[in-house]
Amino acid sequence: MRRWCEDRSTRPGATVALETLWALARSWYDDRLELGWRRRTPPERQALLDAVGLTGPFWSLTP
Amino acid sequence: MGDRGDPPVAGERAELAGRVRQHVYRWFADTGRAPSPVELARAFELTPSQVEHVLEELATGADALVLLPGSSYIWMAEPFSAVPTSFLVGSGERRWWGNCIWDALAILALLDVDGWVATACPDCGDELRVEVAAGRVAGEGVAHFAVPARDWWRSIGFT
Repeated sequence: MRRWCEDRSTRPGATVALETLWALARSWYDDRLELGWRRRTPPERQALLDAVGLTGPFWSLTP
Repeated sequence: MGDRGDPPVAGERAELAGRVRQHVYRWFADTGRAPSPVELARAFELTPSQVEHVLEELATGADALVLLPGSSYIWMAEPFSAVPTSFLVGSGERRWWGNCIWDALAILALLDVDGWVATACPDCGDELRVEVAAGRVAGEGVAHFAVPARDWWRSIGFT
């Protein structure tokens, strides 16, 4: 991952375990097929990230 | 939408947009690809211009779809991609493209099916495969997020 970032002159971001990503994928999209779907608000999305342990500055949706 | 010559009222527009959005998602789920504007027009008995308005509303107003720049063709209905990506998703005989590993896993979660995600290490090129069975994920590796969360929607195609 470090080599990939160096090749692209980009700083390393954050790594996430597949189990955590799976949990996030399930919650993030759980309502997507519903007729009344609307995009979640930033606080609602932040709560989903928090719920799977993705906290801290990198995971903050607000500047 | 009432008579085709009359502009629809706001409530009717929103209701139609919601039904079109859901139809797009079901189409992706069933076929692995996006419906074309012509297919949407036929399904909802709309004119091409009306379909363009609905798709534009879904893309910019509701932030529900991503269109190919300068067109009415659907690029993404997250987590589905209409174009081939590095993340092929499979379940039985069905195939889809995910926009990223998160979206690829989300396709299986959204459809509540067992399946797999095939991709390759972006550094060494080795094939990577993630399996999902009975609601659990198995596979090697971690996912790297290069873009901080606050910038995800700055350029969704790049993210």
